[in-house]
Amino acid sequence: MSAILFNLFAIFTVACALGVVFNRNTIASALCLLLALVGVAGIFALLEAFLLAVLMVLVYAGAVVALFLFIVMLLDVSGGERKPFGKATVFSGIISAGLLVVGLISFTKHGAQTTAELPAGAAASGSVLKAYGEQLFTTYLLPVQIVGFLLLIAMLGVIVLSKKFQGLEDIK
Amino acid sequence: MNPELIQAAADNPWMAIAPEIALAGLALLLLVAEIFLPKSKHGLVPSISVAGQLGILVGLLVNWNGASVGQPLFNGLLMPGAHTQFLRAFFVASSLLVSVLGVVALAKQKMPKVEFFVIVQVVSAAMMLLSQANHFVLMFVALETVTVGFYILVSYVRTNPLTLEAGLKYLITGALSSGLLLFGIVLLYGVAGNPTLPGSSADSMNFDALYGFLQANPGNFLASLGIVLVLSGVAFKIGAVPFQIWIPDVYQGAPTPVTAFLAVSSKAAGFAILLTLVNVFSPYAGLVATVIAIMAAATILFGNLAALTQHNVKRLLGLSGVSHAGYLLIGVLASLTVPVAASAIYFYLFAYLLASFAVFGVMTHVAGENDADQELDHYTDLAKTNPFLGGILAIGLGSLAGIPPLAGFMGKLLVFMTVFAAAGAPVGPLTAGCYYGLLGVAIVGVVISIYYYFGWIKAAYFDTWRAPLLEGETDPTPARTPVACWMRLTLGLLALASVVLGLYQGPVAGWLLLR
Repeated sequence: MSAILFNLFAIFTVACALGVVFNRNTIASALCLLLALVGVAGIFALLEAFLLAVLMVLVYAGAVVALFLFIVMLLDVSGGERKPFGKATVFSGIISAGLLVVGLISFTKHGAQTTAELPAGAAASGSVLKAYGEQLFTTYLLPVQIVGFLLLIAMLGVIVLSKKFQGLEDIK
Repeated sequence: MNPELIQAAADNPWMAIAPEIALAGLALLLLVAEIFLPKSKHGLVPSISVAGQLGILVGLLVNWNGASVGQPLFNGLLMPGAHTQFLRAFFVASSLLVSVLGVVALAKQKMPKVEFFVIVQVVSAAMMLLSQANHFVLMFVALETVTVGFYILVSYVRTNPLTLEAGLKYLITGALSSGLLLFGIVLLYGVAGNPTLPGSSADSMNFDALYGFLQANPGNFLASLGIVLVLSGVAFKIGAVPFQIWIPDVYQGAPTPVTAFLAVSSKAAGFAILLTLVNVFSPYAGLVATVIAIMAAATILFGNLAALTQHNVKRLLGLSGVSHAGYLLIGVLASLTVPVAASAIYFYLFAYLLASFAVFGVMTHVAGENDADQELDHYTDLAKTNPFLGGILAIGLGSLAGIPPLAGFMGKLLVFMTVFAAAGAPVGPLTAGCYYGLLGVAIVGVVISIYYYFGWIKAAYFDTWRAPLLEGETDPTPARTPVACWMRLTLGLLALASVVLGLYQGPVAGWLLLR
C-alpha cells in the first residue's frame, strides 16, 4: 500500500515540478510549485515525519508560495517572447544534464547503505511536535537566539534597501 | 518537563560567550540610541559603535586566558578551541576597522548610517560563534546570519547600479552555496544517523559524533558525497576556484568598507570553519586532501593570472584575495598532518588583516562619490600630493605581495614551511612530489603577484603620461578626502604593526605556534 502511495506522490511531485519549469504563465508556475510542495508533504507523511509534512504545507505551500503569487501579481510580469538559447547555453546545458544523469546513476548504485531492517519504534527527535519544541528551547536555545538576530538584521536590511529617504535619488 | 531537559536548559553557560553577547548587545544599544537621541545628535552613534568595540577588544585582551578551551558548551553546540580567543580578537578588530572605514566612506553617501554599524557588529558576533561551532545546526545558523548580513551590506549604497548588480550576484551565488552546504549536511546527517551502520548516532550533526561515525565507516559513498558538498559550500565563502565566480563583480560593486569586510573577516571565518571541518573529516583524509590540493593549485594560478589585467583596484584586490585563499588552502592541506599549520594560517590571516585594512583605508580616501569607480589611474601622484597615504599604500601592498621584511612575508614563509614539513608524511593518494609541486605553484604565484602589486605602487609613485584634458572636459580623477587625525593614527598603527610583525614576531607568533 505504502509503496503504491509513494509512487503516486513521487510521480505527482515530479510532474508538478516539471510544470513549474515548462509553464509559460508565471502564476500557473507558482500554482504548480504549490502542488509539488503538497506532494513532498505527502511523502513526508508516508515517512511518518508528520511534523515536517504539516510544516511543509503551512510554511511553504501556505506562506511562501502565497508570497510568490503576491509578488508576481504585484509586478505583473508578462511572459513575452523567449529568446532562443545561445550555443554556449545549449552546450553547458547538455554537459550539466549529462553530469546529472551520471550523478543519479552512481547515487542509486552506491547510495544503498544496507539491506538490514531498521529497528522498529525509533522515531527521530524532530518528528514529534512535543519533543521538537522541548529540544528547541533547551538544547538548541542558542541557535534560536541567533535566528532572532538574523531576523533583526534582515528587517533592518529591508528598511535600508527599500525605504524612501530624504535627499536620496534612486536609480530608475 | 523531565529533569533531563531542565538540566539541558540550565547547562547553557551564557557567560562563556560574553564577548559575542557584548558585541550583539552593543548593536542593539545603537538602535536604541538612534531612537532616543535627537536628530542633531545622530552623528554620535558611529562614535558609540567604535568606542564600544574598542572596549570589547580591550576586554578580550585583558581576559585573554578566560576561554574554557576544549570543553563542550551549550550541550555540545560550541567547542572553544585553542585559537578561539585569537579569532574572537581578530573578528572584533576587523569589525572595529570596518566601522572606522565606514565612518569615512558613508560620509560621502546619503544612505542611513546607523544600520550599517548594527549589521557589521551582528555579523561579526555570528562569525565569532561560527569559529567555535561544534554542531552543524549552530554552524549553519551562524553562517546564514553572516550571509544574510552580507546580502544587505553588499547592496547597501543602493543608488549605484553597480552596487545593486553586486548585491544581486552575491544573493544568487550565496543562496546556491548555502544550498550546496545544506545538501551536504543533510547527506552526512542522514547517513551518520542510520541505526543499521556501525558508529551511528542519534545526534549525528554533532561534529564529535560525526567523527566517530566516519572513523567506523571508511569509504562510505554517501558520506564522501556529503563531505565534498560541504567543502564546496565553504569554498564559496573563501572564494576558491571553481567557486570564485562572484568575487570580482561583488568586490567592485560593494562599498569599500564592505569589500574590506568580505576580504578579511568573511575569508577568516571561512578558513576557521574549514579547519574545524577538515579535522572532523580527517578519517577521509585521502578524499579531503585530493579535493583541497586540486582546488589550491587552481585557485593560486587563477587568482594571480586574472588579477594581472585588472585596472579597477577593487577587482584587483578581489582577485588577489582569491590567490591568498589559494596559499591558505595549501596550509589547510598541511594541517591534515602537521597541526601547527593551523597556527601558521591564523598568523597569515592576521598579517593579511593588517595589510588589507591599510590598503582599504587608503582606498576610502582616494575614492570619490562613485565607490565602484576606483581605477589605477586615480592613484597618479598620490605619493607626491599626499606622502602619508602613499607610504601606507606602499607598506600595505608590499606586505600583501610578501616582500621581506613585512608581516606578509613572514605569514607566507610560515605557511610554506608547514607545507614543506607536511611533505614528509603525504596523505592518501598524494605523494611528497604533489606537496613540492603545490609549493612551486605557490611560489610562481607570488612572483606573478609582485607584478600587479608593484604596478599599483608604480601608479602612486612614478609619473605616468596622461592625455591632456580637452576644453570642457573635467578631470576624471575624483577629489581625495582629507585624512582626519584619528584616521592617520589608525592607518599609521596598521602600517607600523605590519613592519614590526615582519621583523619581530615574538608575542603573536609565539602565542599562536605554542598552541
